[in-house]
Amino acid sequence: METPKHITIFHGPQHPGITGNMSIELDLVGETIQRATTHVGYLHRGFEKLVERRTIIQAFTIVCRICVPEPDPNETNFALAVEELAGIEISRRAKYIRVLVLELSRLSAQFLWMAGQSGSIGLYVVGQWAIADRDLILDLFEELTGGRVYHMYVYPGGVRRDLPDGFLDRVASLLTYLKKRLKLYDDIFINNASFKNRAVGVGVISKDEAIVNGYVGQALRGCGVKADVRKDAPYLVYDELDFEVPTQTAGDVYARALVRRDEMIQSVKILEQVVEKMPEGDIMVKMPTHRKFKLPKDDTWVKVESARGEFAYYMAGDGTEKIRRMQVRGPSLVHAFTLLEDMLVGAELSDVALIMNSLGICPPEIER
Amino acid sequence: MYARIKNQFATPDIEIKRGDLSKVVIKKERLFELINFLGVEYKYLTLNGITCADWIEDDRFALSYILTTLDRGHTMMVQTFIKRDAKFKTLSHIFKQAEIMERDLFEMYGIDFIGNGNLKELSLENWIHTPPLRREFDTLEFVNNNLSFREGRDDNIDTKAETKRLRALKKAKKLAEKKAKEAQDGDS
Repeated sequence: METPKHITIFHGPQHPGITGNMSIELDLVGETIQRATTHVGYLHRGFEKLVERRTIIQAFTIVCRICVPEPDPNETNFALAVEELAGIEISRRAKYIRVLVLELSRLSAQFLWMAGQSGSIGLYVVGQWAIADRDLILDLFEELTGGRVYHMYVYPGGVRRDLPDGFLDRVASLLTYLKKRLKLYDDIFINNASFKNRAVGVGVISKDEAIVNGYVGQALRGCGVKADVRKDAPYLVYDELDFEVPTQTAGDVYARALVRRDEMIQSVKILEQVVEKMPEGDIMVKMPTHRKFKLPKDDTWVKVESARGEFAYYMAGDGTEKIRRMQVRGPSLVHAFTLLEDMLVGAELSDVALIMNSLGICPPEIER
Repeated sequence: MYARIKNQFATPDIEIKRGDLSKVVIKKERLFELINFLGVEYKYLTLNGITCADWIEDDRFALSYILTTLDRGHTMMVQTFIKRDAKFKTLSHIFKQAEIMERDLFEMYGIDFIGNGNLKELSLENWIHTPPLRREFDTLEFVNNNLSFREGRDDNIDTKAETKRLRALKKAKKLAEKKAKEAQDGDS
């Protein structure tokens, strides 16, 4: 009998389904993957090192760039860590505005995921719709912060700028529009047989493995674990808001897509409450002059729920104006190596992009 | 729980940082024993991260192992200190994800995690210099010694001299405007 012929190919580093650059070295026999090895390093920028040379306001301008589709969880983690170490309590209005920004950011990231996920199986119309709808959110970000993608808005002590006149009305009308649109996405994407046939039973994760190995976000909730930082360890004002944590039990690509779809509905629900309950008050507490702003010698671990799962920062101060250490721990490091390398063994070549995208891997956040 | 940790591990350094976060500082010899104890007795079953901070003035690294309970409601930061040139045991035989987290720290700090079979470069390529996140690695010095600015690039401008020049230009322009106005007023 003839020995099966092995070939090795690189999937990436450029691929439309992934934000940033990452490649997977695949050993194949025919179409079936025998071994997968993740390679990163195409966009290492040394942010963690750069932060150590800068004052807090200078470091603040860098952190949003750690993850392209989701800058706001990074800004929030940075602010939460600095505030905790410096003993700063922010105003209620600032907390509500941060939730507004974080949920808009979540919706925007989910639309971007939808574009990538549908693109990975050739459903390009969904991607065009999703990017167009995401743009409406970016319009709001531009009005609020001056930037469409990188906002540099959630600053330690509060937020940089108050809401413009009529901004909440424009958020409310966008939410009304998106609620109608999400139903259409069900027809064109979630319930589409082309997607279902490709996604059901592919890239399955078991519940036990997901818990012990530290998987987060949809990878965890897609196999039945009700885990969400907003509920488990509430920050800002999430404990005052009514929302559900959607879960599925199948653990496959389709289950993760259903979780994301339900999360978008929940985000709309949260935003409606934020619009209704937005309190009056200051947006920023009095902060020390930035050149004299020192963090005490102490450390902490803060986390928020990003659109792709738990996103955490370790921060240590040393009594000077500079941060001794800031370490980023997003979902991608474990998902791209521990999870993806195992999951791809036995999978088909055509499913690589599909699986990769369903795990919410963002390479810039691995290399930071 | 805290009383049991204090008694069993003779560690006085327990700090409740927030409702959902506590920190225990323990000697490195008993670190894995404590992690195992927390897992078995209190369901700290998930390893979320391994962090490192370089305290070069004390000649030591602070390694923190971040563990979360099964219900995700509480996080424990178990911290230990190791010498900056020391090797340390791997945790990858208990937590699979520790392998990549240790690989990251191996690359950035040069910590040799004994037993981790996958300690190789991650983000960097053919790096032969000091591991970059160690405090003695000076980014600016590295750039000045190893890279050069291209002629004609804006980066190459001495910003202090350029600011001075622009200020002088602005001042001269204002002065000229003032003089012109005075001359005009004089004429009329």
